[in-house]
Amino acid sequence: MTAAVEVSGLRVASAARVLVRPCSLELRAGEILVVLGETGSGKSLLAQAIMGTLPPELACAGRIVLGGEEVGHLPPAARRRLWGRRIALLPQEPWSALNPTMAAGGQVAEVHALLHGRPWAEARRRAASALAALGLGRAVGRHPFRLSGGMAQRVAIAATAATGAPVLLADEPTKGLDAGLRDEVAALLAAEAAGGAAVMVITHDVGLARRLGGRVAVMLDGEVVETGPAGEVIAAPRHAYTRLLLAADPETWAPAGAPAGARAAGATVLSARGLAKALGGRTLFSGLDLEVGAGGIVAVAGPSGCGKTTLGNVLLGLLAPDAGTVSRRPGTAAHRYQKIYQDPVAAFAPQATLRAALGDVVARHGLSWDAAARLLSAMRVPDGLLDRRPAQVSGGELQRVALARALLVDPVFLFADEATSRLDPLTQKQVMDLLNETVAERRLAVLMVTHDPALARGMASRTVRLEMPSPRDALYFGPGPGDSG
Amino acid sequence: MTAIPETSAAGAVPAPGSARGRRALGAGLLLAVGLLALAGPWLIDADPLRQDLRAALRGPGGGHPLGTDHLGRDMLARLAHAARLSLGLGAATVLTAAVPGVLLGLAAAWRGGAVDRALGALCASVMALPGLLLVLVLAGFAPGAFWPLYVGLALASWVEYFRVVRAVAASRLARPDVEAARLLGFGPAHVVRRHLLPDLVGPLATLMAFGLAATVVAVSSLSFVGIGLRPPTPEWGNMMTELLPYHAEAPLQLLMPGTLLFATVLGLALVCGREPS
Repeated sequence: MTAAVEVSGLRVASAARVLVRPCSLELRAGEILVVLGETGSGKSLLAQAIMGTLPPELACAGRIVLGGEEVGHLPPAARRRLWGRRIALLPQEPWSALNPTMAAGGQVAEVHALLHGRPWAEARRRAASALAALGLGRAVGRHPFRLSGGMAQRVAIAATAATGAPVLLADEPTKGLDAGLRDEVAALLAAEAAGGAAVMVITHDVGLARRLGGRVAVMLDGEVVETGPAGEVIAAPRHAYTRLLLAADPETWAPAGAPAGARAAGATVLSARGLAKALGGRTLFSGLDLEVGAGGIVAVAGPSGCGKTTLGNVLLGLLAPDAGTVSRRPGTAAHRYQKIYQDPVAAFAPQATLRAALGDVVARHGLSWDAAARLLSAMRVPDGLLDRRPAQVSGGELQRVALARALLVDPVFLFADEATSRLDPLTQKQVMDLLNETVAERRLAVLMVTHDPALARGMASRTVRLEMPSPRDALYFGPGPGDSG
Repeated sequence: MTAIPETSAAGAVPAPGSARGRRALGAGLLLAVGLLALAGPWLIDADPLRQDLRAALRGPGGGHPLGTDHLGRDMLARLAHAARLSLGLGAATVLTAAVPGVLLGLAAAWRGGAVDRALGALCASVMALPGLLLVLVLAGFAPGAFWPLYVGLALASWVEYFRVVRAVAASRLARPDVEAARLLGFGPAHVVRRHLLPDLVGPLATLMAFGLAATVVAVSSLSFVGIGLRPPTPEWGNMMTELLPYHAEAPLQLLMPGTLLFATVLGLALVCGREPS
C-alpha cells in the first residue's frame, strides 16, 4: 500500500535563511503523525508546504507525494484543486475560521453540495446527521456566535471530515481551547484516523501528542530532531530537546501539593468572604470564600468563560462584588496588589520602550534604577531588550519584563491571569519557575488563573475550581478563542 | 520576534509618487505660503491698502513684483497680508476648537456615565445645526467683522475633535496596559500622557490639518460671497470677488489668490493625508 503522504528532502527557505532543513516524512492511511515543536520551529511551514499554502516569497524544494502523485511542483491553481479532494485542512481557532453569517448545518452541507456536487437537500441531510453524530444535533441551525469554542471546533471538524479527503492536516487544533475541549478534539481526530484518514497534527502541546498516540516528529529550528512512536518518544526521549519539551509539560511536574517547609502559607494577605458576582445576567460565582497567604499559590481553574478572571479582578478591587467582602492585610499600600496579564504585549503602553515603561515606575515610586536592573537580571532579561517596544519583544521575554515591573513595587499579592497560556511550553516552564522562585524568596501571595488543570496542580498548593454557570447559558455566551473569561 | 523589513526609502531625492515624496511636496507648498504670511508683510515695502489709480491693473514688473489690482494696490503685499489673515484665523479657529474638543472628549471617555451622556447630547445638538449656518447667524450681528467667523467656525468644529478623542480614548482606556498602569499607582496625567496621547497624536494631526484647510476655504468662500471679511481688508476670497469683473484684462491677478488657496489646501492634504501602511 502506498503512503498517503510522502515527503522527502523537503526544504523551505526565505531569501535570507533556511527555515525548514531537508526532512522526510511518511504517513499511511489510518495513521496519526504529530509534529511537535515550538513557535518558530518551522512546523507550520512544513504543514503549509504540504498543503501548498506557503507565502510566495518562500522557496520550497523537495518531493511531496500525495496518494502516489507528486504534487510539489504543481502550480498554485493545481494545488488548490487538491484541497478538499486529496487533502483537507482543519484550521486553528475555529471561531474565526467558520463563516459568521452561516448556520453550522450550512457550513457542513456546502461541502457536500459544492465539493461533491450532491443535491442541496441530500447535502443538508448528510450535514445534519454528521452533526448529530458529534452531539450537535441541536446546533444545526445555529450561527457560530451562538456556539461555544468546543462546539465550533466540532463543527469545523465535521466540515473538514465531510470532504472525505484521505489526508487531514490539523494546524494547532487545540490553540485557545481548555483541557476538557482538548481531550475532546484529540478523541475526534483519533476517530478520523480510525475511519481510515491519514491525520497529521501540528502542535506545541505535548499533552495533545500524548492523547493522540500514533507517531511523533519533534522539530527544532527547522529540523526534525527525533521521530518515533508517541509512546516511545514520550517514555524515553533520545534528543536533549525532546527531554526539555517533555519536562516543560505541566502534566509531568510534581504536584505542588501540601505546603511543606518554606512553602507553607504564612499570614493571610488577602481574604474574601461570601463573594458573589454576576455578569451579563449570569451568576459566575456566589458564596465564595478564599484566603491567600504570604508565600502561597492558590490556583483558580475551570473552563474558559466560567468567570476565573472576573474573580481575580474582584479580589484586586478592579470590579465590585455583588455581595461579600474582600479584605486586604491592613497597612499595605494599594499598589502592592499587582496583576500579570495573559497577553504581555497588551499590558505595556505600545509606543514606549520597555526602558521608559520601567523608568516610569522607578520615578513614580522614588526607586533607583539599580533596583530595576537587579530584578531584570534576576528575570534573565538582557539589557539590550529594554530599548525595544513591547511588540518587538517575544512573549516569554516580555512576560518576564512584566513580572519584573510588578515586583519593582514590592507587591504582597500577585494575580497571574493566564500568564503563560499564550507562551510556548518551554517558555511557560521558565516563567513559572521564576514565579516559584519569587514566591519562595519574597513570601509573595499569588492567585493564578489557568484553564490547564495540570498547570494548577503543578504550581498551586490549593486549587479553586469554578464551573460553567449553566450549560444552557454556555451555549449563548461561549467564550471566544483565547478568552480567559 | 518581529523583524521590521526596511523598505528602500533611503534615496536622497524622494520619488514624487512615494508617500515621502508627496509629504515633501506638501511641506514645500506649506512652507512657501507660510513664509509669505510670516515674512511677507515685513519684507514687502508696500501698503496693501494704498491706492494708485494711475497704476491700476499693471502686470508684474516695475515697482510691483506681481503687478497691481484694479485700484492700483500692490498685489504681492495684499496676497501676503491675506495669507497671514487666512492662516492666522485658521490656526486660531483650529486651536480654539481642538483644545476644548480634546479635553471634553477625554472627560467623556474617562468619566463615562452621566458625564459622557451629557457631553454626547451637547455634541449631537451642535451637529444638528449646519456649521456654516451658525457662522451666517453670527455674521448677521456684526457684518464684515472678524470675530463671527472665528467664533462660529470654532463652535461648529469642536465636535469633530470631541468625537474622535472620545472614541479613541474609550477603547484605549479599556485596555490592560491602562489597568496595569493604575494598579502600579499611576494617576490620570500619566495615563493620558503615556497611554492615550501617543495614539491620539496621529488622528488629531490629521483632523487639525484638514480642519485648517476647511477653515481657510470657509473664510474665503464666505468672503467671496460678501458675508465674511469685506474690502478693503485683503483676503483671498474678497480679492477674487473684487478682481472678478477684470478677468479679461488681468487674468493673472485673479488667479493669484486662488492659487495660494489651492496651494495651502493641497499642501495640508499632502502632509497629513495618511497612507494606508
